[in-house]
Amino acid sequence: MLKYLIRRLAATALVITLVSMSVFVIFAYLPMDPARLTCGKACTPSIIEANRHRLGLDVPVQVQYGRFVKGLVAGRHYGEGVASFDCPAPAFGYSFNKHACVSTLIADAFPVTFSLAIGSFILWLLIGVSLGVVAAKRQGKWQDKASTAFVLVGISLPTFISGILILLLALKFNLIDPIEMGRWVSPFTDPIGWARNFIFPWITLALAFAATYTRFTRSNVLETSSEDYIRTARAKGLSEKVILRKHTLRAALAPIITIAGLDFAGLLGGAIITENIFNLPGLGRLSIRAVLVDYDLPVILTTTLLAAVFVVVMNLVVDILYAYIDPRVRVA
Amino acid sequence: MSGSKMTQRHFRRRLVATTAAGALLAAGVLVGTASSANAATAVKGGTLYFITNAQQFDNVDPARVYTGRDIAFFNSYLYRNLVSYKPTAGAAGSSLVPDLATNTGVPSNSAKTWKFTLRPGVTWEDGSPVTCADVKYGVSRPFATDIITNGPQYLVDALAIPKNADGSSQYKGPYKKTGQALFDKAVTCKGTTVTFNLNRSFADFNYAMTYPAGAPVPASKDKGDKYDLRPYSNGPYKIATYKIGDEMHLVRNTKWSQKSDTVRTPYPDDIVVRFGMDENVRDQITLDDSIPNAVNLDGLQPANLRTFFADPKRASQRLNVFDPYTRYAAANVSAGHLDCLDVRKAIFFAWDTQALIDLAGGTVFYGTPGDNPIKTVLGLDYAPTTGNIHDPAYKIGGNPAKAKELLAAAKISCPATYARVTDPAQGFTYDTAKSATQQKASVLIQAAMDAAGIVVKFNFIPPGQYYSTIGDTTKQGDLSRAGWGADWANASTVIPPLFSYPSSNNYTQNSKDPAFPAFKAMSDAALAMTDRPKQAAQWKKLAQYAMDQYWILNPIFSKGQEEWGSKVGGVYFWEPQGTFGFGQLYVKG
Amino acid sequence: MSQPFLEVKNLTVSFPTEDGLVRASNDISFTVARGETLAVVGESGSGKSVTSLAVMGLHDRRSAQISGQAILNLESGPIDTISASPDVVRKLRGKSMAMIFQDPMSALHPYYTIGDQISEAWRLYNDGDKKAGIKRATEMLDLVGIPGAAKRVLEYPHQFSGGMRQRVMIAMALVNNPSLLIADEPTTALDVTVQSQILELLKNMQKEFNMAVILITHDLGVVAEVADRVSVMYAGKIVEQAGIDDIYYQPDHPYTIGLLNSIPRVDQLEGRRLIAIPGQPPSLISLPAGCSFRSRCSFSSQVPNNLCATAVPDLDQKISGHFSRCHLTEDQLKKARVSTGAVL
Repeated sequence: MLKYLIRRLAATALVITLVSMSVFVIFAYLPMDPARLTCGKACTPSIIEANRHRLGLDVPVQVQYGRFVKGLVAGRHYGEGVASFDCPAPAFGYSFNKHACVSTLIADAFPVTFSLAIGSFILWLLIGVSLGVVAAKRQGKWQDKASTAFVLVGISLPTFISGILILLLALKFNLIDPIEMGRWVSPFTDPIGWARNFIFPWITLALAFAATYTRFTRSNVLETSSEDYIRTARAKGLSEKVILRKHTLRAALAPIITIAGLDFAGLLGGAIITENIFNLPGLGRLSIRAVLVDYDLPVILTTTLLAAVFVVVMNLVVDILYAYIDPRVRVA
Repeated sequence: MSGSKMTQRHFRRRLVATTAAGALLAAGVLVGTASSANAATAVKGGTLYFITNAQQFDNVDPARVYTGRDIAFFNSYLYRNLVSYKPTAGAAGSSLVPDLATNTGVPSNSAKTWKFTLRPGVTWEDGSPVTCADVKYGVSRPFATDIITNGPQYLVDALAIPKNADGSSQYKGPYKKTGQALFDKAVTCKGTTVTFNLNRSFADFNYAMTYPAGAPVPASKDKGDKYDLRPYSNGPYKIATYKIGDEMHLVRNTKWSQKSDTVRTPYPDDIVVRFGMDENVRDQITLDDSIPNAVNLDGLQPANLRTFFADPKRASQRLNVFDPYTRYAAANVSAGHLDCLDVRKAIFFAWDTQALIDLAGGTVFYGTPGDNPIKTVLGLDYAPTTGNIHDPAYKIGGNPAKAKELLAAAKISCPATYARVTDPAQGFTYDTAKSATQQKASVLIQAAMDAAGIVVKFNFIPPGQYYSTIGDTTKQGDLSRAGWGADWANASTVIPPLFSYPSSNNYTQNSKDPAFPAFKAMSDAALAMTDRPKQAAQWKKLAQYAMDQYWILNPIFSKGQEEWGSKVGGVYFWEPQGTFGFGQLYVKG
Repeated sequence: MSQPFLEVKNLTVSFPTEDGLVRASNDISFTVARGETLAVVGESGSGKSVTSLAVMGLHDRRSAQISGQAILNLESGPIDTISASPDVVRKLRGKSMAMIFQDPMSALHPYYTIGDQISEAWRLYNDGDKKAGIKRATEMLDLVGIPGAAKRVLEYPHQFSGGMRQRVMIAMALVNNPSLLIADEPTTALDVTVQSQILELLKNMQKEFNMAVILITHDLGVVAEVADRVSVMYAGKIVEQAGIDDIYYQPDHPYTIGLLNSIPRVDQLEGRRLIAIPGQPPSLISLPAGCSFRSRCSFSSQVPNNLCATAVPDLDQKISGHFSRCHLTEDQLKKARVSTGAVL
């Protein structure tokens, strides 16, 4: 197991390195010129060049990458004289739009995105799995039909609509203070304020995801219920409750771990729409504005990299969890 | 997206929004520019909210702000310039008043030298006095073009400091200090008097000094790029917190005294700008008046605007005025493009202006057909032109017959261009922003051109890259959607940047036009004129010239709207900044 | 003979479907006593498994319509598993009656250890902690001949071969000393060499536990090794029921004769050709009138008045303890046996 872990971690490191290189190369060869795009309103060729130097894009891409890697280890220094400042290691660069080290921006945004992700994750798993189980157990009954309706609504309603609807309703009934909404409150200093801040975004995201999980759980439970080993369990004289809890769910939910892990990893990269609607200063909002508004390369690079890291790491976690749950995939 | 929307809708000089969404407006009644700011009822105290979808101010550093809205905002609350516009509604708002200086500047040496003397008793937020050295230091910062980005370049262009071959200044700013001696000669301090030595006659230099790029900055507080997060205040408020993506909170600057300031009358105790609000939430607050002490800093979305302006109860919570912009299509007149006057005229007469205005919200909210690059708000410099929309053959809905006549003329006068714009495989290309509205507009343009037998191809450019694309002469098409507003109440900030030299704002590429040299000579002469009425007459002639050459087609004098909550008082439209007069806003008791 | 442990009387199981009622098992009656092995033989779809699942109470009562009786003569008194409440029947499962299934590869839960699964069955009816359960499981594994039981009890099903898994299934079924064991095609999925080992084990276990065993199979060859009596099922009905010798040497139904002809036998001449029964079994939704086997029977023409097509033959006792459902006379059947070479 240890050997396996080391091997997987090495592979993970390799993937992350390759992703970071690809991002550099992609941005180096995109037809857009960041120096021109972010040159400002009074733009002349000499100002474009000054801007290129400011952004660190006046050197070849491999030198840029070298600076990036060095910055990760040793930190980075910018500017001269009174205008100089440092980004301590691990430095992912400096955002000239937000006037902050990218690592600071990420450190500010990540707790928001993580709070959003973990809460909605728990909520949608609870809703999705329980609805799915009920629907499977009451196949064809009203519970099943109701859950089918829920799935239809959840899947066909995009978050940019459901989110706005939820938000406007919450505003209508004064459940949200639009000025305070979305402002980061640490769960350690004010857990209630934190939860109040996130409850509607949680619901929005959970709604979208729970639908998929309901459908998935229902079909998995139904499929597992027809497995021979469930008949065996019944032949042993086990009660339906025990069969469901111990035998059916364990097998039916194992595959859910894979998609749940990847969905969660995806969310950790930032829930762009939900964060924007509820004014949550998370990674999703950070990255989308960096792409669409600011053309802020260091931010784009870091959030892309981070999203890749989350996916790769969650993949590893999922594999380990899966091996724990399903002895058949354990490595010899 | 939204962050740049703030910029695009509000920057005062330069380019207007690349998507019409920013100015897509609805039906309603034109409210006068002056919504009576009755100072007698103004009360002190309370919190004034500004709500916006943007994540941040594009810039806060005085040397870097460049949008009329932001200049007006920070100038009213945080930092003072040597001179200011008069804080009042109507045309009077465009006149200069002394601010940090004791007068509006004293020119000499054919306006190549300008002197300003500082008012005594003005202090920074720590109580230390604002000195001439602070002004000099502040003025030096825009020269550090690799750090102080986005700001206006007037000082860099006009101060008497030699330039390099690539047009950049030999002075590299206060951080590198390269060429510091050159700067120290161009800007000098003697006691409390600062002297600017310019490289040319600059009759309206004091207007340029309304830009905060000319505002003082204490060298000890400068942090280069990071000064944008926390500029030091000498105004009535100071920054308590500024967190990008969250809020900016301004509190009273206790070291500021009303005695030292004849421009500002600060009323609220707290000023909070809440960033990142969803556009629907932001609009809902305005529509429901759920936060009556909030100003909608972005303006309502088109659909909500209709509702809001149709409600008579909200009459005192809205403005609908001519904004500072003229929107037009710039003709690329260089060889191989629209290098034929008859073809340009044919396109002009074929254009269905009515349909396009209707699409964008109608004449009441979007704007009216214009006859001039200079807008009517520049009262001194504007005069109706002849020809174009005053031509008897002009029809607002397009006159394809007249266009065909002109095309027939073009067939003889410039057969190559004629052949290209009528060839179904070629045609002329129209640059426009990639947006739903512009895509709808393209259908209308296509129909109008079809009717006249002209072939048009569309080049849809992502909004964020629009101006950098058409500003690239190798990438610009034949006709490019653009817009412009005067930097101050002088057409010197309209005619020269748009037509008199190749710049990133001149999308006509007219330096290749045979008509150009004569035009440029006249324009240069006008710039140096210190006799304002004579100068105005010259601008009028040049505007007529540009229109006669059809360098720009179908200008629209556009309008803008603002909305605020029922407990916000003291609102007026500050014409020169094209936005609220922030300094007089108060929260009703 | 002692009182049978299980008495199945007129058991009918049907499943309503969109196309009509599927009569999977139709008016089945049989008995099996402790110490006795009844083989239920028939091709797939003949109703063997449906019948046994009905006895075990393992049908989903929402989708299966069941009538008739399946009486377990317990020490505490008889219980009809068809009419008793599901909870009562559940508490008989694993304790009084147990079942093992065809495919040992899929009948064990892949996520739990063998010990866990056996122990779970034991602890359901015995007081004892998990440790005791594992100990009991180890004993059972030992009993069913799994070498290294103490180690293997902690292993997972995928670490076992097919034959070993079936041994595990048997161990699990027997862990509570059931009086009735239903083995549903226990060797079908296994290698031939392993098959006989499992059958041998079943036989030994039956002796050890003095169980009534119902062995469900489609393979008459399997039957010969272990069964005392045989019920042959066809299209949901029992068509012949007799002692093991009678079935092999005096089959009284053309279907049984056909089955015997289709298997190789050591007691017959070498070189005899195996003959498949022509045709397909009828649809259970719309059974033809008369004898269900008629269309595949090469002797039906010998029956006068087209009786095979009009009347369902009764399950008659032609000789003592030998029942069959056929219109042919004993003479005609005798000729049939000889003519096909089913019996020497």
